[in-house]
Amino acid sequence: MRKWNKKALVGTVGLLTAGFLAACGSGNSSEEANSDTGSNSSKEVSFWFMGDGNEQVQPILDSFTEETGIKVNVQSIPWSAAHDRLLTAVASGEGPDVVQMGTTWMSEFSDAGALMDITDYINSEDELNRDNFFEGNVGTNEFDGKYYGVPWYTETRALYYRSDLLEDIGYSEAPKTWDELKDAALKLSKRGDNMYGFNVDGSDQTFGFMFARQNGSKLLDKEGNPLFNQKPFVESAEYLNSMIQNGSAPAQDLGIDISQSFGGEGIVPMFISGPWMITAINENASDIDGKWATAVLPAGPENNLSNTGGANLSVWNGTDNTKNAIELIKFMSKPENQLTFLDTSSSLPAVKSAWEDEKLQGDKIAPFGEQLESSEHMPLMPKWEEVAQKYLDYWEQITVGGADIQDTLDAFNKDAASILKK
Amino acid sequence: MKSKKAPYFFIAPALILLFFFSILPIFIALIISFTDMSLAGLADYSRINFMGVENYTNILSDPSFRQSILNTIYYVIIGVPLVVALSMGIAILINMGKGKFFSFMRLIFYSPSITNIVAIAIVWSFLFNPSDSIGLFNRLLHTIGLGPIAWLQDPRIAKLSLIILAVWRGIGINMLIFSAALTNIPKTMYEAAELDGATQLQQIRYITIPQLKFSTFFVIVTTLIGWLQFFEEPFVMTEGGPLNSTLSVSLFIYRNGFQLNNFGYAAAGSLILFVVIIIATLFQMKIQRKEEENTI
Amino acid sequence: MVSINRKTKIIIGIILGIWGAFTIIPFIWMILSAFKTNPEIVAIQPKILPNEWTLDNFRELFQRLNFGVYLKNTIIITLMSFVGLLINAAAGFGFAHYDFKGKNVLFILVLATMMIPGQVTMIPVYLMLNAVGLTNTYLGIVLPGLTGAFGIFLFRQFFSNISEEFFEAARLDGAGEFYIFFRVALPLSRPILAVQGILAFIGGWNSFLWPLIIANDQKFYTLSVGLQLLQGQHGANYALQMAGAAFMVVPILIIFLIFQKYILSGFNISGGK
Repeated sequence: MRKWNKKALVGTVGLLTAGFLAACGSGNSSEEANSDTGSNSSKEVSFWFMGDGNEQVQPILDSFTEETGIKVNVQSIPWSAAHDRLLTAVASGEGPDVVQMGTTWMSEFSDAGALMDITDYINSEDELNRDNFFEGNVGTNEFDGKYYGVPWYTETRALYYRSDLLEDIGYSEAPKTWDELKDAALKLSKRGDNMYGFNVDGSDQTFGFMFARQNGSKLLDKEGNPLFNQKPFVESAEYLNSMIQNGSAPAQDLGIDISQSFGGEGIVPMFISGPWMITAINENASDIDGKWATAVLPAGPENNLSNTGGANLSVWNGTDNTKNAIELIKFMSKPENQLTFLDTSSSLPAVKSAWEDEKLQGDKIAPFGEQLESSEHMPLMPKWEEVAQKYLDYWEQITVGGADIQDTLDAFNKDAASILKK
Repeated sequence: MKSKKAPYFFIAPALILLFFFSILPIFIALIISFTDMSLAGLADYSRINFMGVENYTNILSDPSFRQSILNTIYYVIIGVPLVVALSMGIAILINMGKGKFFSFMRLIFYSPSITNIVAIAIVWSFLFNPSDSIGLFNRLLHTIGLGPIAWLQDPRIAKLSLIILAVWRGIGINMLIFSAALTNIPKTMYEAAELDGATQLQQIRYITIPQLKFSTFFVIVTTLIGWLQFFEEPFVMTEGGPLNSTLSVSLFIYRNGFQLNNFGYAAAGSLILFVVIIIATLFQMKIQRKEEENTI
Repeated sequence: MVSINRKTKIIIGIILGIWGAFTIIPFIWMILSAFKTNPEIVAIQPKILPNEWTLDNFRELFQRLNFGVYLKNTIIITLMSFVGLLINAAAGFGFAHYDFKGKNVLFILVLATMMIPGQVTMIPVYLMLNAVGLTNTYLGIVLPGLTGAFGIFLFRQFFSNISEEFFEAARLDGAGEFYIFFRVALPLSRPILAVQGILAFIGGWNSFLWPLIIANDQKFYTLSVGLQLLQGQHGANYALQMAGAAFMVVPILIIFLIFQKYILSGFNISGGK
């Protein structure tokens, strides 16, 4: 066995060298090619944007070019293929100057050395000052005390509810606590067969963790060991599961569009989601105009922490165009440009001062601003995604398979510990 | 006299392309499967550690992987015969008919192959909806006093629902292949059989089906390989749920490799799948060879 | 072909018709949805026909899509992918009609390439193309998908089915191997060429991931990539997507109808008709 290992190792090294030699060789030559353009690149910067750049970000880039004389080569990448595109960029080392990064990707790509440490710029440039942005978003850029990006836009979860249906059961306002949420959900589910009160989202990786935090769970201890079978976490799971078991919430995805689940009769009249649902409801469920609202999350025993998401702007490691890249990021961090981006893409500004604008004072959007003050990102570690994925599997065993909660979470905790140790 | 060199000229362009874009990557995948390569390793090869066969031992004891293997076998055993039989049946029926209407039917049965996957997901989610006031299948069942069936929610039924969907999608291209082969059966054979007083069913049984031998073999092998890589249907409809009951090996590999960046682990999974497919194909070829010997 | 009387023909027609109607529902739904508004598509009990026909989806599609560029790229890539037909046909011919050293091993190797999921090969292939400087070129987009085991295998099966005598006759007349391939074998394989032509066209027309990965510049994007961009960040605008899908499918339908003729005009091997 040992011997075989050694042989395989030698073979592996040999083949790897052969297979990748050419790639490395070209890596050098393409760097040369880059530096060729680098000499006259003082007037250009390349930017990878996730989504439709022509539509959403071009106006900002145009005014940037006008102001600084720096031309921006934007490449739009559909979200569905963005992770693959970034993988190949990491593999070849050939990326853009500035790249938009989803917050959940930050840890894996900064760990891989794909993003540049820009702590110095964040300390020296006013526009990039940490205090300008929501804390939860700034946190997604920090690893080992270094900063690898600047918040670009933010997302958080809030409660959507049908005000008319809640009125009917005696709630003139949104549920404020877990108890009220459970009570309202149960009453709403009594409206008839196949009617529910709330949606315990079984496909959202962050849902259970969010509720656990509201119950005081820290998720991980200081050494990074999971606390998923501890009391706060288990209790929150019991709380969520009780709503499924008493029929307040569907056990599985109902397979219906928002226009039926929330619009019309309101099969599921309360759910938790991000700001993008506002547009979706306005467009697809116009029948309930004025009959729905948003609110900050109901508070658990400890707090009403929500989950922060969104995207950051980072500088690709290895670019020789750092100065222009930082100029672009600075420009995009200005409140007025963040507001332009709100107009073109409905994404929420990560810069706090932008929220003073009246566009963000509307009754549907304002609760999100309020919720952002009580919102945290998921733990930032390359393996977190895998843990979160595992959570969904185990959670399904409880809700669909009827497994014991404590036993299942014990198993989940063990599994998560071994994933995180890797 | 056949030239000795000619065949190499014929196959060289294809082989060269395949060598670079398929075979070489397989070897690279093989190497990767013995390492803990992740995103960081992709950027900096010095961070790749050699793990020996650890990925293989881990994956073989991973309950999700085992489940995905069992699911995939289930898909293959039920799905492949259905696709082959139905696409051959439709091709023969269409071919018997001739005329404008029948060649138009060919386009109809081909239409699932050119229907956008997003459209497929939306329409079939509607067809499979568990409520008997929304889902079309359940509404139909309701009118005859049956159901409702939890098509995609019941772990025992979800697999079958996906098979229905995949068979519907898979018929088109195979039907075309059979159609192409059918046109090559000499007319004289049927004329002779007819003179001998063979019925239509006998003609199909003793002329058409044996004459389709080569295409059948082709369709079986490619369908088998395709179904062993069953991916899109669970990906868009169930994401492997409920309770991993629809998780296929390919979906498992995709999740681990491209969502979670465990390239080493995923590569080990795909090489196991690779070996299984080769064994299944060789087995299939052996059966074919035996049959040929028997018929001659 | 089995000859049948009128009655049987009608029965078969009815069976196929009913079955076909079920088969084509999603396709029809896709086309008709392109003319609906989005709320109507997701309505709880959708009707087949639009309540109100609208062209807004298409208008939006063309306004927002960088259409000229995407279409040009798609056409170039599709045309280039047709070269693959010839390569596949040649290889299939080679495997079917010659005995040579290593034939079985090589053929199994070809088959084996069918069995590796595309995701596994993506990164190594990208690194190779990058190494030889083919990123940001049409060639780099097309090359990895130019040939495929499926096509080679299909041609081989087809040619194995054709009697050796055909080629022997040509050889006796002193024809070279390449002459035989181009003038005897290729014309014979019209039905398979047609099947493969349809597949190559669809493949090229819908190519998505490679144009995106290989390009460092939006000027190489195809229609599929453009449509994905349209889908937007959290977009649930099915109407727009269906308009895009419906638009993409029209050329495929045309190609199908053209090639179908060749599938039908199969070669009668025994000579007389």
